[in-house]
Amino acid sequence: MLTHLFKLIWNKKKQNFLMITEMFVSFLVIFAVFSMLVYKYNNYKVPVGFDFKDVWVVNYNDAIKPVDADSVALYMNNIRQSLKSLPGVVDVSFASGNVPFSFNTNNTELNNNGKKYRSNIFTVEANYASLFKNKMIEGRWYDKSDIPAKPFPIVINQTLKREIFGNENALGKTIIQDKEKLKIIGVVADMKDRGEYETPEAGYFNLADTGAYKWNSTILVRVQPDVDAAFEAKLFKTLNNVIYNANIEIEHFDDKEERKNKISLVPLIILVVVAGFLIINVALGLFGVLWYNISKRRGEIGLRRAIGASGNMIAKQLIAEALILSTLSLLLGSFFAIQFPLMNVFDMPSQVYYTAMLLAIIFIYLLVLVCALYPGKQAAAIMPAVALHED
Amino acid sequence: MITYETSEKLASEKSLNSKTNTMIRLSNIHKVYRTDTIETLALNNIDLNVEKGAFLSIMGPSGCGKSTLLNLMGLLDAPNKGEVTIDNVQTINLRDKELAAFRNKKIGFIFQSYHLINDLKVLDNVELPLLYRKSSAKERKQLASEALEKVGLSNRMKHFPTQLSGGQKQRVAIARAIVGQPEIILADEPTGNLDSAMGNEIMDILLHLNADYGTTIVMVTHDEQMARKTHKLIRLFDGSQVM
Amino acid sequence: MLKNYFIIAIAVLKRRKFFTFISLFGISFTLTILMVVTAFINHVISPDYPEINRSKSLYVAFLRQENTKEGWANQSPGSYYYFDHYVNKMKTPDKVAISTLFAASNTYVNNKKILVNLKYTNADYWKVLEYHFSEGKAFGEREIGNSEKVAVISEQTKEQYFGKDVNAVGKYIETDNIQYRVVGVVQNVPMTMPYIYADMYLPYTVSKAGYQSTELTGNYIGILMAKSESDVPKMAQEYEALVPKVSPLNKGFDVLETQADPYLATFTRQMMGSNNDSGVASFVLIVSLLALLFMLLPTLNLININISRIMERSSEIGVRKAFGASASTLVYQFIVENVIFTFIGGAIGVLLSYIAISTINSSNLIEHAQLKMDTNVLIISFFACLVFGLLSGVYPAWRMSKLHVVNALKAS
Repeated sequence: MLTHLFKLIWNKKKQNFLMITEMFVSFLVIFAVFSMLVYKYNNYKVPVGFDFKDVWVVNYNDAIKPVDADSVALYMNNIRQSLKSLPGVVDVSFASGNVPFSFNTNNTELNNNGKKYRSNIFTVEANYASLFKNKMIEGRWYDKSDIPAKPFPIVINQTLKREIFGNENALGKTIIQDKEKLKIIGVVADMKDRGEYETPEAGYFNLADTGAYKWNSTILVRVQPDVDAAFEAKLFKTLNNVIYNANIEIEHFDDKEERKNKISLVPLIILVVVAGFLIINVALGLFGVLWYNISKRRGEIGLRRAIGASGNMIAKQLIAEALILSTLSLLLGSFFAIQFPLMNVFDMPSQVYYTAMLLAIIFIYLLVLVCALYPGKQAAAIMPAVALHED
Repeated sequence: MITYETSEKLASEKSLNSKTNTMIRLSNIHKVYRTDTIETLALNNIDLNVEKGAFLSIMGPSGCGKSTLLNLMGLLDAPNKGEVTIDNVQTINLRDKELAAFRNKKIGFIFQSYHLINDLKVLDNVELPLLYRKSSAKERKQLASEALEKVGLSNRMKHFPTQLSGGQKQRVAIARAIVGQPEIILADEPTGNLDSAMGNEIMDILLHLNADYGTTIVMVTHDEQMARKTHKLIRLFDGSQVM
Repeated sequence: MLKNYFIIAIAVLKRRKFFTFISLFGISFTLTILMVVTAFINHVISPDYPEINRSKSLYVAFLRQENTKEGWANQSPGSYYYFDHYVNKMKTPDKVAISTLFAASNTYVNNKKILVNLKYTNADYWKVLEYHFSEGKAFGEREIGNSEKVAVISEQTKEQYFGKDVNAVGKYIETDNIQYRVVGVVQNVPMTMPYIYADMYLPYTVSKAGYQSTELTGNYIGILMAKSESDVPKMAQEYEALVPKVSPLNKGFDVLETQADPYLATFTRQMMGSNNDSGVASFVLIVSLLALLFMLLPTLNLININISRIMERSSEIGVRKAFGASASTLVYQFIVENVIFTFIGGAIGVLLSYIAISTINSSNLIEHAQLKMDTNVLIISFFACLVFGLLSGVYPAWRMSKLHVVNALKAS
């Protein structure tokens, strides 16, 4: 029977060509959408890796800071002490501007035995990990003893460790950044710092020295969970008093995360809406064409009934024909889709593409099945006695 | 491998002419077609026995119920009243699936407008009935070729129906009707679309099938000349048998 | 004849209601999506309040300095010094608006935080950009010269800080511990105009960043407005000629690259252009390709349906052929029918887009932005309809013209 259906489809290749093309393009669209969805969902499942609730960030700019390093240190210490003395403030930490959920990035190139890797570089203070409640995977976070140490001690994140060392041990190894030797003392769990639906990037943490303070424009503040709006106004006043001549902005990390999530989700929602419309369109079209084909094939259906096909068999045959057509389109589509993981386009894990492909295949089959079901039923109900005498 | 033994045996039994040898029995058949506004009585109280190995023709003006009668015999339609018994099987209680299997095994159809599937080659068209029963591809091909040989079209197997003449198409249709070795062939004006030479050719094949293999044939026709070649002729008028 | 086709098209529409529905659904929704996107792009790139002089303006968004020996580069907006010292001395520009990129700050009223985006501007800024003042007016050379702490605020900020039905001019607004006297209130500007968006505009002389620094880079951008549109190419040339004369560069750099670009090019150059390529062509190409790609599926769908429709009409076609219609007449007839059909779908699409755009505007999805269905959008939709109608009509028409008379008549 299968070969028989193939013959039918092959001999009608002209009509079927368009159907196949349409299903093929639909598959690619669905594949693209599912790739995005699977990718974002995978990211969503990964633990956040740090606790940013009740952490605020202060951005200040244009501050005219003292010139020499010692005065800067004094100036910064004054800011820290003033903030810490406020009831409601738990901890204060200076960090480079590429804090979680910000739009700033700071990249560098690392060199391990001649192989090059791109990495984010975060300049932070020793209390950063306790402020964000980071989890250590291996080794340790910084302590006071690390400040003058040579070669520079660094803590790398899981992603960077995986990229450079794979499953090997990273602790104690040295890598090179711009001729400077860096020694790895710890591996910290990835922070999902680009939003809930994005993958964390490779990065390492660099302990801030007094030189770094001169360029500082970002302060992390952990507050008590029960602080109110009046507290924030007070904090703002305090900041205005200790940081002269600056524009100051306080942001809450949960708001920042929400904004980042929106930026990830809005294009996704638009994509899903547009794809949804396209699919409804295609579904209606398929349905219409299949339905129309049945009225064109009434004679054939009547004959098949006469020579021994039951109504069910007719319905099954028509559905099978539609499914064979979709199989052909899916084979063609999969050939193109499989190039994405093979050629590593867009730098997504290949598992994402394979899952998306599987889902897209199931989706197209279901779609075609749904579109063929009713026309198939209509065909099964055709009275052979009537259909055979229509001409 | 299916052979023609059974048919030959049937042919020899034909001479016994016993009552139990009735192939098709219609008793007290009424058939009404209803639309929203009108009721048409298509068949009115028809009683008819067709014996095994008989060649019956049915005549009558257009709309007299000939085709309806043939549809009932072919189990394509059910009567509103009365019973259709085929080869001693009461068909009234059969479900759709059983009816389909029954048709497949027992009955071959021939139509005025051939009803070939234009998208399939001649050989594939002839194979069609075998697809609805258990048989291997090789077997199907063999049987279909044999059937085509019987109608003299062995050289047209790879053609599409659109490349054939009307007479050739009807011969393909006959090959398709006999490929499953049915005991009954129902022919609905098989020569209606053909000129008399071609019509005679078709008629000869049918007569030959009836004589050599003992196939029971019921034929609806408009052609008095064709009808006279058969064993028995009945006439319908306004849904009733008049002769 | 056309009238005749129109009548037939309507008759065909009525014949298979389900197909008609599918076709019109596909056409109208495809066009709706295209129109909303066009309206958005149109909103982003074409002149609108208050940036209505875009077509006679050029933008200097950044300077790029390179160290060709070491191979590193720095890209940043210019300094006030750069614009004042070099750009302001150009001859073709009528006015040069110099302003910082907006920067966030907070202010607190009754313990409620308000986010205020600050922008420091020169006096000509208010002449290049034509803001509508609902109260007061802009600050001028005098206030700037005296470093007066005055501010022009947006209506939204006024509402949040002072309340809805009060006057703000003359009152003080505090941010970063400084009291600014409000001199004017302007209509809100959407964030989609990044070069001029802000909640609070201040004289550059009160900026906390040192505007006196003689480095080339800072956080200022310039909008150069010519007297007329025809002067724009001349202005671009003059700017190009100016660049080699700029010296000295910031320490460590030996090459300066900067362009005075039309509005769209300032974005496309960064996204897909280079020093020598504004990227506008690539941008147009990519947008058109995406639009075509998006239309591919609905078009295929329409072709499929059209073929079914045509086969259904094979007897009509057979009769027409039998009575002497040539294949080309039939193709022409069908294409015209299909285009008529597409335009009916297009009309529904315009209606749907109108609803969609009104919804987007009233829901304030893009803050302060008012998408419009202006002539640009309608012209583009018209062409989209035409392309759509032709694409989906040609192949089915060709198939139809190949039908044999005899088969066509028989198939009925």
